[in-house]
Amino acid sequence: MSTIAIISSFADDAQCAHAIEELRAAKVGDFNTFSPIPSHRIEHAIGLKKSPVRWIVLMGGISGVLTGLAITIGTTYEWRLNAGGKPLLSWPPFIIICFELMVLLGGIFGFLGVLGLSGIPAAEIAPGYDGRFGEDRFGVVVRCDEDEAARVESIMKDSGAEEVMREGV
Amino acid sequence: MSTNLQMARRERAVMKPQPVESVAGTTMRAVAGAMIVIGAIAFGLALMRGGAAIAWEAYLVNLLFFLGVAQGAVVASAAFYLTQAKWGGSTPYRLGEAFAPFLWVGFFLFFGLYFGRSLIFPWVTHPIPQKAAWLNIPFLFARDGIGLGVIAAASFAFIRVSRGDDAQAWTIATDDIELPPHSIRFWAPLVAVLFAVVYTLISFDLVMSLAPVWRSTLFGWYFFAGAFWSGLTAMALVATVMRGRLGDHNLFTNPTVMHDFGKMVFAFSVFWIYLMFAQYIVIWYGDLPVETFFIVQRVHHMPWSPLSVACLVLIWMIPFVVLMSVRTKKSPAILGTVSALGLIGIWLERYVLVIPSLSLDAIPFGPTQFLISIGFVGAFLICAVPGLNRVAQAATSGEPVGDDAE
Amino acid sequence: MAAAPKTNTEPSYRDIDRSVLRVMEPAGRAYWAWVGFCFTLVGIAAGFWAHQIYSGLGVTGLRQPVMWAIYITNFVFWVGIAHSGTLISAILFLFRTKWRTAVYRAAETMTIFAVATAGLFPLIHLGRVWFFYWLLPYPNERYLQPDFRSPLVWDAFAVSTYLTISALFWTMGLIPDIANAREAATGWRKTFYTVLAMGWQGTDRQWRHYSMAYLLMAGLATPLVLSVHSVVSWDFAMAINPGWHSTIFAPYFVAGAIFSGVAMVITLLIPMRKLLGIEDLLTEWHFDNLAKVVLLTSLVVSYAYITEAFMTWYAGDPIEQTTFHMRYFGPWGWMYWVMVLCNCVIPLLLFSPRIRVNLRALWVITIFVNIGMWFERFVIIAGSLTANFEPSQWASYRPSLTEIMITVGSFAWFLGLFSLFSRFLPIISMTELKEGIVWLRKALKRDRVRAAA
Repeated sequence: MSTIAIISSFADDAQCAHAIEELRAAKVGDFNTFSPIPSHRIEHAIGLKKSPVRWIVLMGGISGVLTGLAITIGTTYEWRLNAGGKPLLSWPPFIIICFELMVLLGGIFGFLGVLGLSGIPAAEIAPGYDGRFGEDRFGVVVRCDEDEAARVESIMKDSGAEEVMREGV
Repeated sequence: MSTNLQMARRERAVMKPQPVESVAGTTMRAVAGAMIVIGAIAFGLALMRGGAAIAWEAYLVNLLFFLGVAQGAVVASAAFYLTQAKWGGSTPYRLGEAFAPFLWVGFFLFFGLYFGRSLIFPWVTHPIPQKAAWLNIPFLFARDGIGLGVIAAASFAFIRVSRGDDAQAWTIATDDIELPPHSIRFWAPLVAVLFAVVYTLISFDLVMSLAPVWRSTLFGWYFFAGAFWSGLTAMALVATVMRGRLGDHNLFTNPTVMHDFGKMVFAFSVFWIYLMFAQYIVIWYGDLPVETFFIVQRVHHMPWSPLSVACLVLIWMIPFVVLMSVRTKKSPAILGTVSALGLIGIWLERYVLVIPSLSLDAIPFGPTQFLISIGFVGAFLICAVPGLNRVAQAATSGEPVGDDAE
Repeated sequence: MAAAPKTNTEPSYRDIDRSVLRVMEPAGRAYWAWVGFCFTLVGIAAGFWAHQIYSGLGVTGLRQPVMWAIYITNFVFWVGIAHSGTLISAILFLFRTKWRTAVYRAAETMTIFAVATAGLFPLIHLGRVWFFYWLLPYPNERYLQPDFRSPLVWDAFAVSTYLTISALFWTMGLIPDIANAREAATGWRKTFYTVLAMGWQGTDRQWRHYSMAYLLMAGLATPLVLSVHSVVSWDFAMAINPGWHSTIFAPYFVAGAIFSGVAMVITLLIPMRKLLGIEDLLTEWHFDNLAKVVLLTSLVVSYAYITEAFMTWYAGDPIEQTTFHMRYFGPWGWMYWVMVLCNCVIPLLLFSPRIRVNLRALWVITIFVNIGMWFERFVIIAGSLTANFEPSQWASYRPSLTEIMITVGSFAWFLGLFSLFSRFLPIISMTELKEGIVWLRKALKRDRVRAAA
């Protein structure tokens, strides 16, 4: 028995989401989707959890604040210089530095985090990808056993797929 | 006129709710009435028994606070029109307008300050000739009185059109990009602009002039930003309280609506701390005695410094830390608690801004000031009853809500 | 599908892609002539700068006590221009504003090039530019670190953070769009876009992380944009110089920055929409809303002017009063009144809904705003320095040719970079426009109803 890929395309995300719900209920194979826009409907249908990238951003923010505290306090104590009669530990200015570094590292972590988690830069294009899926079509690629293919195809067609194709993997 | 709007208007006409007088409203009126009586008695006793100074101090602080809440909430409603907010149908608008009758009460109470002028304004007993052109009693009462009167009148004109059928239809035409009706487009920006102008004047005259040497250009902005935030938190508090009392299908049970209230409380709390910091760092860095003494008295001087820290915790730190997560914003219990603490924080902040200028060495808070504050709470609540009934009607009317939430 | 797009009020996803990608096709001679003209001016300005580096700051008009003048004015002006981009891309994103989708990419691009332009001026203003790295947290030979209590150091942190974060935010938004361009392009452009798209395919996994990260980046960029111009304002407000030391400076500068920035967005978008043929994506509705932001911030700026004047009078400090008297009625008084006219009076026209959608009138008004805001910075920065504590030190200032040419060069640099961008990368976000396509359709219909009426 061999695994095959079934690629279907939909004209709107509601149909696509419906197909995914049916597919999950039928418990056949695994699948992924391509879409031109981030669709809440599809996300809900797949039942994705919230992206962990928020924790990465939080880590970045915290490390930014810590870096800020370290360089401001550290350099002040390295050479205790009275400047303008201000206290050695001048919190109001230090808060500004910490804030800027929090945003800087939070943003950089977030950016790198989203690249890492979503697997880009990627040299290879995932099987089933088609330029139309970036333009105006929503695509679902199902990988399943050959004998279940007919069932998957009928789920797709019943949900309103415009096109359903088989491809060997 | 788009077809969406016409449809919404027809729908509106069909389901327009009948006015109902709730049982809760009657009870609330009775309790509030009792509170007013208690406050008035405490105030009268204090005046007779030589506690006039502390009585007038409490009067001023409460006047500033409750006027700020009432006006801030009306401005929130105006701001919703200006930003074309449709995330909660007409309910957020009704909520913002609910406390408005207090504006007239506050307007009349403001003139009461005339009788306490020598105890409130240090420049009455110790005149400052250089500033006499601005700091004199007739001019002060004329300009602030006119300001408060004009903004109260404008707010009522705004509320009248906002409760009209056209505006209501517009608020529930959720998938429409048309601007609000003409009359709203006149009154809503006017109320917002007047708010900035009048509350800047109020802050300069009723807070800054109590320390007549001190000045800060940002103070007016800072003051009305706090008032606006207190209006928003009062709205969020009412929303969380009503949620459990209006049956299963009221608007406030919708988590995305709660989320939106939470976001606003969070965002404008951060804006408040931004203005606070912007003001603080300039004065701290410049280190000019004429500017710093105001801060030193409140932040470094006992017994005031713990209170200043408490303001910071209640207005900024708690909302910031607690409401950072989506889950807490959607939780009515948590959002309600944070909002209630925030309102206490703004009250305390008004107290810390006003009182040290008049009584630096001791906190005059005691039974007298407490009971007078209770009286103001009563006056505020009794004013809010009809408005809150309207909120309840709107929240249970089942009207459509914008689908752009989340 | 060759229907004339101008009358199409029901654009599909495909129509959006087609309109945006058409802009990215190879450009004609006029375009290259314009870009060449811009960069020629930049070259001339670079020559003047080289001359200044070689001979020292004496070739400028900077003399005691006016040691901050046009260069710093330009710095503040360009940082200010940058702010509208982040406002539109991040703050309005958090507010779920529907009209931002069509304009945000152009505004955000403006942010990046404006910060890049602004960042040059502190360097140009340095007598010994090769020591610029002294602003970074880097010890000198004797292990003395920069003083973190100095506002100039905050500025180095704020502006470089701003440039980095805006660039990352901008890149994130571009990735799905470039993947689209990759599919449509041929030849070397295909390679170019394939590399830039980094293998984006729009899978559910990618979108899931992307949406969350985009929201968080917007959440970070929002306080950042407030902080950056606040820090710039504190370069002045920290000093006890009359005319500079004012608590309102931070929020007032932020409002002024958004005011000038959104005005600049309008100034650029109105001709661009014609030249690039994207009238069907940028509707009257978009300009109406942009104009409202200009009006709002104009009112805020007016509020600040009035408060400052009042407080100077109320506080009664004779030195401060003299400085302000000179500002209003001194030799440079005309600049103050030009700025009041441009920033406070002319924008009041935008209260009229008809003027807000009259693109010619709107264009002229925003040009005035840009002029007014440049003068505002000059009046505050250089003007406050001319008349200060010691009347014996009062002096005037006259810009030299070097300063003027470098200023002209900075405008050319900005416009040149922006023009290059507009033909090589998608100037309108296709992804976000598709997400909000219902609103675009409504806006187009509304425009047509109005045009018919």
